Amino acid sequence: MKELIDAIVAMDEEKAIALTDHMIDDNIDPMKILDAYRDAMAEVGRRFEEGKFFIPELILSGEMLNAASEKIKPLLTAANKSSKKKGKVIIGTVAGDIHDIGKDIVTLMLDINGYEVLDLGIDVPVAKFVEAAKDFNPQVIGMSGFLTMAYDPMKNTVAALVEAGVREEIKIMIGGGQMDNQIRDYVGADAFGKDAIEAVKLCDQWIK
Amino acid sequence: MSQSSENEKCFKEREKRVMDVVALKKSDRVPLATISDFYFATSQGVNCREAMYDYDKMAAAWKTTAKELDLDMTGQLFSIMSGKVMDIMGIKGFSWPGAADPAQRLPDHLQYQYHEKDLIQADEIDDFLKDPSDFTIRKLMPRMSETIGPLAMVPVGINALSIPYTMIMGVPMMAALLGDIGSKLKQAGEEHLIWQASQDKLIADLKEMGYPTVHNVTGQCAFDWVADNLRGLKGSMLDMYRQPDKLMALVDLFEPQMVEMTLMMAEMSDIKRVFIPLHKGAGGFMNDAQFKKFYWPSLKRYFLALIDHGLTPEPFYEGDYTPRLEYLAELPPGKIMGHYDKIDRKKHKEIMSGIACFWGDVPGSLLVSGTPEKVKDYVKALIDDFADGGLIVDGSANGLPLESKKENVMALIETVREYGKS
Ligand code: B12
Repeated sequence: MKELIDAIVAMDEEKAIALTDHMIDDNIDPMKILDAYRDAMAEVGRRFEEGKFFIPELILSGEMLNAASEKIKPLLTAANKSSKKKGKVIIGTVAGDIHDIGKDIVTLMLDINGYEVLDLGIDVPVAKFVEAAKDFNPQVIGMSGFLTMAYDPMKNTVAALVEAGVREEIKIMIGGGQMDNQIRDYVGADAFGKDAIEAVKLCDQWIK
Repeated sequence: MSQSSENEKCFKEREKRVMDVVALKKSDRVPLATISDFYFATSQGVNCREAMYDYDKMAAAWKTTAKELDLDMTGQLFSIMSGKVMDIMGIKGFSWPGAADPAQRLPDHLQYQYHEKDLIQADEIDDFLKDPSDFTIRKLMPRMSETIGPLAMVPVGINALSIPYTMIMGVPMMAALLGDIGSKLKQAGEEHLIWQASQDKLIADLKEMGYPTVHNVTGQCAFDWVADNLRGLKGSMLDMYRQPDKLMALVDLFEPQMVEMTLMMAEMSDIKRVFIPLHKGAGGFMNDAQFKKFYWPSLKRYFLALIDHGLTPEPFYEGDYTPRLEYLAELPPGKIMGHYDKIDRKKHKEIMSGIACFWGDVPGSLLVSGTPEKVKDYVKALIDDFADGGLIVDGSANGLPLESKKENVMALIETVREYGKS
């Protein structure tokens, strides 16, 4: 397992794939393989925080993980599949904004860090956030926005959550290109996160 | 003095105020130069759809804003693309206000947006490199435009049409496949000329009013050309690991073309400043070794080639360029008019003083959601940081974002006028 973890962290995709295939052939417990990927991703996240890894490494390790999950998922038993999640998070790019790359990276990072994520997609109308908040019962809502135009839709979304009476029990984080703490205050969110790793840290802080 | 000679004098003064700072000379006051675009329309109540579809309305608003702001250099006009041309061309990959296709239409108050993707897919790079022009014509152009989509039906490489006999049979056969695209292209060409004329006239009118335009030519460095447009963020970042040689081959292919294209466009304009928005080399997008290998060499050569031809590069260092400052310090002093977005100003002073001025960097968040007092404090601190010269002030979200509050913009300007005197 250490070899697999090292290969992933070294961004050696070929080796990671070969080792994974080998383990599957050898009937190694699929959960153990997935755990190795999770451990590797945790290390990738650490290096990202330390400023040693950047977007390319997040994207590539995400790809490696996705490819492995595709192979491993069919092998998992029902019990394995419903493994305990840390908490529930809703993610979406706010109304009027059609950008998805940043949001997708955040979704991926939350997912591998054990959160059940409901991704509402892009250009998400205020009402859809509210509806999802009621149905899905998340502890956290993450709003993504790429441009300055996203400020007001974010503000409106928070206001609508207040109106619907669900704001109190939910933490709200925002992120994306033009967001900062000034905008956190402007829209009435609880936190701004500058990257996907911070999104995970915020959730970890909030959901203990 | 007559109004027109008064205006001419103002024009020269303004131009000099900015260019002196670029050349690292003292100026009488900290200059104000902006790369904003839609703000010039929307601050007069002209929405983004109108700005893209009604050229006269847009020009009138732009002139009113130019007077109201009274800057040393006014904004970036070519960003206000023609919605009509985009409709006629059946442009794909963008959404914009007023788009004829409802699936691509944004509300009137929003600026156009781009859907980033890999126009050239990961396994197509070899095909592209083998014959870039053919791949462009038969694969990429149809992917970018509905109108010239039929080019995808041409069954052989374009160089199969390289002898006289193909003019008799091959080309007409192709024409039959292409159907109506000729008349659509004619229409696009005519509309483009109308749009272009309106832009040229606006620049001339502004000059007559005494206002220099910040730039009228834009270029890209080879890596961004490839990464933004052809391979996309995900594609290009993965290529650095999965197929670095092919990525490099794409960058190498486009490097000379970037220079050639920029010089050609600069030749046609009397504004000798070239805007170069920089994207995927910023901190966070790659590590130092990757920057040094994939990004910097061709960018540096691009800068030097433009400077060699008497042009002033106006790179927009989008994102956080702090980790790249050591590289920027390799550039010749007093030749670059660099616009900054998010940067450690102390480090900039440390590394760049005596090499390049600082142009920036009032955050968009502050201009949109802050107060005049907060803006004033920010600008004062900015002026203090660069008190010994070398500063040009603008917003950092492509200049002033269109959502900016007018009172915040005015606070920015007034603070510079008041505190920025030498
Ligand atoms: C690459 C780029 C482009 C590319 C591709 C854009 C695209 N559609 O994807 C191209 C060249 C096409 C382009 C075009 C334009 N761009 Co542009 N572009 C950029 C650039 C350099 C990087 C964006 C990027 O890819 N980031 C990478 C992704 C992964 O980051 P991200 O989305 O922010 O997500 C990360 C974090 O923010 C965070 N995160 C994201 N969501 C969330 C959510 C939560 C809850 C949390 C906690 C965290 C989080 O995690 C992610 C991963 O770590 C930025 C400047 C910059 N460095 O940010 C300008 C920038 C976004 N562009 C800008 C502009 C103005 C434009 C244009 C309008 C220019 C023009 N006049 O034509 C056009 C069209 C607008 C558009 N983007 O659609 C401005 C926007 C200013 C504004 N008013 O908002 C920016 C900010 C540059 C600037 N400083 O002025 N652009």
